[in-house]
Amino acid sequence: VKDDLDDFRATVRQWCETHVPADWRRSQTGVGDDEFVRFQKAWFAELHSAGYAVPHWPSEWDGGMSVAEQIVLYQELAAHDAPRLVLAFVGIHHAASTLLAAGTDEQRRRHLPAILDGEIWVQGFSEPEAGSDLASLRTSARRDGDSYLVNGQKLWASGGMQADWCLLLARTDPEAPKRKGISYFLLDMTTPGIDVRPIRNAVGESHFCEIFLNDVAIPADNLVGAENEGWQVAQATLGAERGLTMLELVERLGNAGFRWLVRACRPIDDPVVADRLAQFEIEISGLRGLCRELVENTEAGLAGPADASIVKLYYSELLQRMTDFGAEMSGLAAHTELAKPLSSGWESGSWVLDFIGSWEWTIPGGSSEIQRTIIGERGLGLPREPSAV
Amino acid sequence: VTYSEVHDELRSVASDLLSKGDTAVDWPLLTQAGWIGLEVPEESGGAGVTFAEVAIILEQMGRAATRSAYLGGAVLGVGTLTALQPSASRDGLLADVASGAVRTAVVLDGLRLAGNRLSGHATFVPDADGADRLLAIADDSDGIPVVVAADNVTVTPQPVLDETRSLAEVTAEDVAVKEVWRFDGAAADQVRRLHDRAAVAVACDSLGLAEAMLTATVDYAKVRQQFGRPIGSFQAVKHACADMLVQVSVARQLVNAAVEALADGGDARVAAAMAKSYACAAAVDVVGKAMQLHGGIGYTWESGIHVYLKRALLNRSLFGSPAEHRRQLAKRYSSRETPFRTRYAEGTH
Repeated sequence: VKDDLDDFRATVRQWCETHVPADWRRSQTGVGDDEFVRFQKAWFAELHSAGYAVPHWPSEWDGGMSVAEQIVLYQELAAHDAPRLVLAFVGIHHAASTLLAAGTDEQRRRHLPAILDGEIWVQGFSEPEAGSDLASLRTSARRDGDSYLVNGQKLWASGGMQADWCLLLARTDPEAPKRKGISYFLLDMTTPGIDVRPIRNAVGESHFCEIFLNDVAIPADNLVGAENEGWQVAQATLGAERGLTMLELVERLGNAGFRWLVRACRPIDDPVVADRLAQFEIEISGLRGLCRELVENTEAGLAGPADASIVKLYYSELLQRMTDFGAEMSGLAAHTELAKPLSSGWESGSWVLDFIGSWEWTIPGGSSEIQRTIIGERGLGLPREPSAV
Repeated sequence: VTYSEVHDELRSVASDLLSKGDTAVDWPLLTQAGWIGLEVPEESGGAGVTFAEVAIILEQMGRAATRSAYLGGAVLGVGTLTALQPSASRDGLLADVASGAVRTAVVLDGLRLAGNRLSGHATFVPDADGADRLLAIADDSDGIPVVVAADNVTVTPQPVLDETRSLAEVTAEDVAVKEVWRFDGAAADQVRRLHDRAAVAVACDSLGLAEAMLTATVDYAKVRQQFGRPIGSFQAVKHACADMLVQVSVARQLVNAAVEALADGGDARVAAAMAKSYACAAAVDVVGKAMQLHGGIGYTWESGIHVYLKRALLNRSLFGSPAEHRRQLAKRYSSRETPFRTRYAEGTH
């Protein structure tokens, strides 16, 4: 097995050496949206043709890579400083895992190949009044013949300007308790009545969007799971994909992130600096183990109810502490990097921007506070807080 | 029966045995349970298993804050003897250790050999007091580490705040050495591995005691009522418990990786340094939170949380502080011979 993995590593390494676009960081810094989308789609197609775009999907859908191989793949991509698939992220992770877990055969046939052809997805979950308390969402979907008519407003929809399709949570039963009246839809973003507006974030980018929905008709065939069972569908798939998305991010943290941090730290033999670096290396190592175990246990149906939350919380806070230290170590010069390449995630190497961008990991997807509550209640069985409902 | 089922069984037996009454567990009981001879080859009367099984016992002893001579007598004693070239005297001693007839302790450093005479002063030697046979590691006249039987040395107990551990000073004043054993294979590597083994053993103990304190705290937070509801329903308490679980989970990953590296017989240096430094530091944090979340009761002698805090603090200082282990790890960052980049890219998992 070890030899097979070594062979696989050599194959990926060779592929990376000839395929990772040279100098993409410079050429992608300060570009417009069109160029960003073109570049991301071209890179996705390149990865897909090598079999590296959706390694975590089942084999019948062009995936089927073992967890050990995925880890090697992500290590090599990170080591060769390959761009991340930021635009395809929701499609290959959230949309795919939802369709695989709860979609109909027809929905899978319609969308999984399309995602491989570059279909872009956005997640329409949060709302202005439904952030951490997501289940209190108000966007309504009213049955009207063969369709649902949707009205409301979604917020923090990353990639909303480029998306072809949206994963939408909307309330189908306003009378039911809040978790029992929500349904899960697939929404075609070209449907009339949709207005998308970008929101500029703290690092100056505008990938987060508001989506306004005004009498938007969704065919009833685009319901995922049963009516009013959307909350269960969302819960089931969010946890399952957490580990898989983390597998890549953790290897990025361990490779690009930590190596750059070592490079940013001078003098390297300063005892205080060395101590901080070693602590980060240790924590990354522990996180790698946790993440791998989460993915393997999820596959085997053995994951604990709070395991995904532990990984998300630890990853995002470790990222924040590491980028903070990088910003401190790289001094005033780091403040002259005024923009970062759009196709990088947090791992742009611009420490100040990356540190500011780290709140994009501690706030969304269930903030650190929500994760701690989940860990306490589901992981340790502590009593729930008194609820308003 | 799978490997993991055997481990679960061993864990459950150890947990039952160690949780009975007094925290002091005497040597005959440990021998009877078969834990002393776990790593002793079957032909010498042992179980012929690996450090992975020893680690399970260590973790359970941490959980129960067990007072025993297991660290010096089994983990280090057997670990040292099995690292030696076979010989009649070594094999005989190993069999005596497995049968419970002889209890050993190991002086990892501090003593010097000149010709066949041993001298020097070693401190904080685990379980040296009352040991039947002391084994000392020292360099021979060619500078190659060997193991000698340190008879006729002075052993003086060093009382420490943690009453669950027995430590002692060992002083050798130019005493004649009757037995000299050579390591099997590269001696320096074997000595390195014994240090790693000691560090990981303590990390296992710290993991176990942190788990015990997390469980005790969560149980207490579920039943202790204030302001008309269980304190565990308050975010401040719940989130502190969540942080304890996260720390314990990370510690478990690092400890498991180090135990696996030692059991496999490969180079465990990096994994051992990571496990020792993280788990032993985290355990102090976790026990500290346990004391805090138990409130006034937690600070009483009666509650026993102080026993765990003292043990966690001692563990943190034994066999290299977290800072010392991090310093060792950090040496790799500026190393020119083995580029850090390639070594790191492939990870430790």
